[in-house]
Amino acid sequence: MSATATVDMKPEGLRERLTARRLVLTLVVLGIVLVLFVAIATAVGSEHVTIGSVLRIVAAEITGRTADVTPEQRIIIAGIRLPRVLMAIVVGAALSVAGGAYQALLRNPLGDPYILGVSTGAALGAILATVFAETLPLSRPAAAFIGAVATIAVVYVLGQSRHGGTSERLILAGVIVNAFLSSGVIFLVTTASGSRQRSVLSWLIGDLSGESRLLPLVGLFVLAGIGVIYANARSLNLLMTGEEEALALGVEVTRVKVTVYLAASLITGAAVAVSGVIGFVGLIVPHAIRLAGGSDNRLVIPASALVGGAFLLLADTVARTVISPRELHIGVITAMIGAPVFIYLLRRTS
Amino acid sequence: MHSQGSITFKESSRQAGCSQRAHRRALLFAGIALAAMACTACVSKSAAPDGTRPFVDEIGRTIQVKLHPQRIVSLAPSVTETLFALGLGDRIVGVTSYCDYPVEATSKERVGDTMRPGIERIVALKPDLVIASTASQLEEFVHSLDQAGVPIYVSNPRDMEGVLKSIEMTAELTGVSERGRDLCDQLRARIEAVQARTDRLERPRVLFVLSSSPLITAGGRSFINDLINRAGGRSISADQNSDYPQYSLETAVAGRPEVIFLQTGDAAFPNRLKETPAATSGRVFHLDNNLLLRPGPRVVQGLEEMATRIHPEAFGKSENPE
Repeated sequence: MSATATVDMKPEGLRERLTARRLVLTLVVLGIVLVLFVAIATAVGSEHVTIGSVLRIVAAEITGRTADVTPEQRIIIAGIRLPRVLMAIVVGAALSVAGGAYQALLRNPLGDPYILGVSTGAALGAILATVFAETLPLSRPAAAFIGAVATIAVVYVLGQSRHGGTSERLILAGVIVNAFLSSGVIFLVTTASGSRQRSVLSWLIGDLSGESRLLPLVGLFVLAGIGVIYANARSLNLLMTGEEEALALGVEVTRVKVTVYLAASLITGAAVAVSGVIGFVGLIVPHAIRLAGGSDNRLVIPASALVGGAFLLLADTVARTVISPRELHIGVITAMIGAPVFIYLLRRTS
Repeated sequence: MHSQGSITFKESSRQAGCSQRAHRRALLFAGIALAAMACTACVSKSAAPDGTRPFVDEIGRTIQVKLHPQRIVSLAPSVTETLFALGLGDRIVGVTSYCDYPVEATSKERVGDTMRPGIERIVALKPDLVIASTASQLEEFVHSLDQAGVPIYVSNPRDMEGVLKSIEMTAELTGVSERGRDLCDQLRARIEAVQARTDRLERPRVLFVLSSSPLITAGGRSFINDLINRAGGRSISADQNSDYPQYSLETAVAGRPEVIFLQTGDAAFPNRLKETPAATSGRVFHLDNNLLLRPGPRVVQGLEEMATRIHPEAFGKSENPE
C-alpha cells in the first residue's frame, strides 16, 4: 500500500490505467492465495486428520471412489469441514462484492450491506420464514431475498429528496432502517421458544456451522450476481464520476443503477440465508483493494470476491479452531478487525 | 448425602481426567453445602417482634421472612413446580409467563417472564415472599427488590443434590418442613432406584443436543451432565468447563456418540450426525426439556426417562416407552 493512496471515490482514484495484463496478473495471484487458504483451512480443525487422509478424502469426493479412511474422518472432512470452507468463501465473496457495488453506486466509502440495513432485512426475512413457514421448501432463502430487496428499495426511496438522493441521505436512511429492522429481529428473538431462541440469535451474530444443503444453490446465485455486477463495472466507473457525466457518455444510468442495486441485494440475501448477519466484511475488503490497486471497478469487483472469500475463510477458521472444540462466533472476529478499520475510514472521510 | 454429592463430582471428572481440580471442587462444594446446613441449623425459630425471622438463602444472603408466608411470588418455573409439589399452590399469588406446570399455575397472575419480571406488578401484589432461582440469572433484579423492601429468596440448585436441598429449604422457609422431607425422601428413593440399576453397567457415550444450529451441548459442570452420569451414561462433552458451550460438529462426530438426546421442539436433526452409531442403531431420542432444564421435582422424571433410553435393558422396556 502506498502512502499516497487515497480512498477517494472520485475519478482521480483511477490514477493508474488498468491494463488487461495487470488485471489478469492480480487476479491470478489472488486466486493462488485463496487456494492456499483453502488448503490450510481444510487441513486444520478441532479434530486432527492427517494431511494425507485429507487429500485422499478430497480426491475420493472428486473421483467418486471410496478412500481408505475411517467413516468419521470422511464425515468430518467431506461432510463438515469442506462444505464450511466453501460456505465461508461464497459468503465472504458475496458480501464484499455487494459492499464494493454499493460504494460505487453511492460514491461513498460507507456503502456496505450491513450499514445499509440490507443484511438485517434479509435476516429478518429468514427468521420470519423459520418461525412461520419452516415446512415450506426454500422458504428461508426466498424470504431472505425478499427482505434484502425490500430493504434496499425502502432505503433508496427514503434517501431521495427533491434534488435526487445524496449518498449521505441514503446512508443515514440505511442506518435508521437497519436500527428499525434490528429491533424487529430482537423482538422475534425474545418471543421465540427456548430451544429456538439460540438458533434465532445466531442469525444476528452470524454463524457458518449450519446445514450446507443450500450451498450449491447459494453458490450459483452468488456467482451469477457477481457476474452481473462485473458486467456493469465500466458503467460503474463512469457513474462514479457523476450521474450527469455518465448520462452524457451514453450510460443508461437508471438501468445500471437498478440492475446493480438488485444484484448486490440479491447476493447479500443469498449470503445471509445461509450464514446470518456478518458485518464489516463488505466494508473492509473493497477498501483494502482500492487502497492497494486503485478504484477501477473492473479490478475492485473480482478482486473483492477473491479477497473477501479469503478474509472470511480466515476469520471462520480462527473462529472454529482457537478454543476448539468450542466455537467462537465469526461475527466477533470480523467485527474485531472491522470496527477499527471503520473508525479509521470515518477519520479519513471527515 | 454430601459424600454422595462429592462422589458424583469425582466420577464425572475422572472421565474428564482432571482429578485435582475435581477434588478441590468437591471440597468446595462440600464446604458450601456444610456452610448452608450450618446456617439453616442456626436459624432461630423464634420470631422477631415484627413477626419475621432471619433466613439464609442458597447464595448466602440473609433475609427477613414471616414464619408462614401466605402470599408468594415465584420467579421461575422450577420454583412454581416445587411450591405446587409441596401443596402450596393456593399461596402463590404471582408466577412468570414460563410457568406452565401444573395446569393450575397458568391461571395465576403473571408478573412477566424470567428475564424481565415486572417489579411494579410484584410490589403491587404485596408478597410476603418472592422466590427466584439462579437458573434465571436475576442478580440485578434481586437487588431492586431488596431496595423495595420485598423479601426475596434465591435458590441455587447446581445438580441433583442441590435440587433436593432447594426443595427442603423451600419447605422450611414456607413452614412445611415435614412435607418437604417426605417429598425429598420419595424423590431420593426414585433417584437411587435409577442409579442402582445403571451403576454397574457399561456407560454409553451420550451427546446431549441443547440446540442443533448452532450445535450447543452440555459441559461438565452443567446440571444436565449430572443427570447423564446418574442415568448411567457418559457425556462426550463432559470435558468442557462452560455449562452450555457452542460445540464443534467435528468433535461431536469424532466422539462417536451411542445415544443422542434432542430437545422436543428442536425440529431438525443435524444431517451430519446421521452416520453416528446412535443414529445408525436408532438411538436418537427427543426429551422434553422442561423435565431436564427445570431444577424442580419433575427433574427426577427426566432422569428416569433418560435412564430408560440409555439402558432400556435395565428397565425391561422397549426403546420407546412413550
